[in-house]
Amino acid sequence: MSFYPRRLFISKRKKVLKGFLLGASLFLLGALSLYFVSAIAQFYLPTDWLSNPFIPVFLMALITIVAYKPLDFFFSELFEKYLFKKRSFVHIVLMNLAEELELVLDLQELANLVVNTFGEVLHLKTVALLVPERQDGVFQISAAYGWNISDYRRVAVGQDAALMELIRSSGPHVLVRNRVVRALEWRDANRLAHDFDLLRASWIIPLMVKENLVGLLAFSAQEAERVFDEADFQFFRKFAHSVARKIFNALRFLALERAHVELQDVQSRSIQATKLTAIEQLATGLAHQIHNPLTIISGKAQVLLLQKDRMELDERVHQVLTTIVKQTKRAADITKKLLMFSQGSGVAKEWLHLDQVLEDTLSLISYQTSLEAIELTKTVGPNLPVFYANVQEIREVFFNLILNAVQAIGSGGKVHVTLGYQEKERVVEIQISDTGRGIEKDNIDKLFNPFFTTRHDGLGLGLFVAKQIVHRYDGSIRVESRSGEGSLFIVRLPYAEHAAMTGAVAQASVPAESRHLT
Amino acid sequence: MRKMLIVDDESEICEFLKLFFEERNFDVNTAYSGEEALESAKKFKPDVILLDIHMPGMDGITVLKHIKEADSKVKVIMVTALETREKIEAAMRLGADNYITKPLSLEYLERDVQEKVEQLARSRDPGLDRMKL
Repeated sequence: MSFYPRRLFISKRKKVLKGFLLGASLFLLGALSLYFVSAIAQFYLPTDWLSNPFIPVFLMALITIVAYKPLDFFFSELFEKYLFKKRSFVHIVLMNLAEELELVLDLQELANLVVNTFGEVLHLKTVALLVPERQDGVFQISAAYGWNISDYRRVAVGQDAALMELIRSSGPHVLVRNRVVRALEWRDANRLAHDFDLLRASWIIPLMVKENLVGLLAFSAQEAERVFDEADFQFFRKFAHSVARKIFNALRFLALERAHVELQDVQSRSIQATKLTAIEQLATGLAHQIHNPLTIISGKAQVLLLQKDRMELDERVHQVLTTIVKQTKRAADITKKLLMFSQGSGVAKEWLHLDQVLEDTLSLISYQTSLEAIELTKTVGPNLPVFYANVQEIREVFFNLILNAVQAIGSGGKVHVTLGYQEKERVVEIQISDTGRGIEKDNIDKLFNPFFTTRHDGLGLGLFVAKQIVHRYDGSIRVESRSGEGSLFIVRLPYAEHAAMTGAVAQASVPAESRHLT
Repeated sequence: MRKMLIVDDESEICEFLKLFFEERNFDVNTAYSGEEALESAKKFKPDVILLDIHMPGMDGITVLKHIKEADSKVKVIMVTALETREKIEAAMRLGADNYITKPLSLEYLERDVQEKVEQLARSRDPGLDRMKL
């Protein structure tokens, strides 16, 4: 950005020049007034009064005191206007930025704009903007100029830091490292110096809105001899005041956004809970209704099969009765499975064999797929660890995704489920591919929205619920699809290290029978 | 002859169970509701009761409570359509001797009933145990 002037602010050399001019003009003024006074004095005072050396010295001092301030101001303005014409340009750029920020509500974007413009325009070495993004009041670097990302992500300043204590007592003044460190006792000075070093700063401007500290702008210069003067600091304070209000707004906006996301999460959970309760009630009612007729059919057949002291049953009758008993049991098992799926929404987490959970889910869905001539297959990779989760939730994920694939096909096609463990990344990966009609491009984004469905009889909750659950396990879910060519859903569930250790113990202590989910 | 009371709101279920156990030399009475069951338990004084949990009106759990309060020795086998853990736990706490799930496996039920009957015999006549030994 060579567009901006390189040397804007008063260097030591220029300060000396200004001091010299100021001194010279003060001396000139003094001499003039002395001459003037003496010319008047000739008429009123004894002629030897000038021989007293105190009188001119006194006069000079008086003039210096009276004229210093206006003269200094005059020269500063002069320098400003003629020697440092470009400084006002910097002011304009920064104040324009402050105005532009009015429209930026995203905290990150705002922080980036501030540090980059500030750094570029003033040719600084480092700039860091710290804001209290988290609820605990810890200030973290939100954006930085001249830093490595990996470095600044780790930097945080807590409420108990010396820097914070200082700001609380001193208010919105620009803090100059050398000045404040020198003014303190050695212990506090050390702590404060540490904070300055942590932020790689020579100057820190607190960004305040009324009494609230909403940010810190910490920066250092390229050249060691560069100094800012009071006029600069005054401008910085003005700039900081303006930026602070924008950050304040952005922080409130962020809090609002977070609350919104939280609300959505709560809402989705309540939708899920309602849905589960409805299924649970339906399944319980159905199971009871179906079980009694099944019991009667099966019971009567058993009475015949097990009857004593009668002539032996005809072989064919025996066979028919056996089939009746077997098939009624099978029907009863389906209702039991249905019930198993709906119950246990409040079940706590436990160590799960994901392949078993998958198997259970597949067997439930296979009743439907066999009717629709859909081939349902699975591949389970090696080294699959036991996974700590709520069995009901994991079932929901499998069930919703597989059912979605089956429904995408309609009839005649293939659904393949792959369950594997990526040892390097410590991630359990579930892939569900289908040969269905695929997803139209426009619909891919909306796919996981609640109540989004392309079927007349669909509720549009399955994929939404699956996504919510996957997110609860810090996992991710994505879809690859082209209209007419089928879809591939990929779920990735991270596997925690500490969980792996206890998991091994759990795996060893669980007897084989109890692996089956009841 | 051992006496058995079968309680289920489905008359057909009562019927085939009655048929099955009469064939195995039980004196069987049936009841189609909780209230009826309590009355029958008082008059008929069964040794074993097959008690359905899910019934309109007074449910099996309540019936169990009353029956066990009146006579804790009587053997009660709960019959349930589905294992809801809380219900079964509640029944077991109230002194039910076992539970069985619909659809019933008659072979299993017969074995279980025989076992309960033997338990009864042992508790009522300790001498029988010694004789066996």
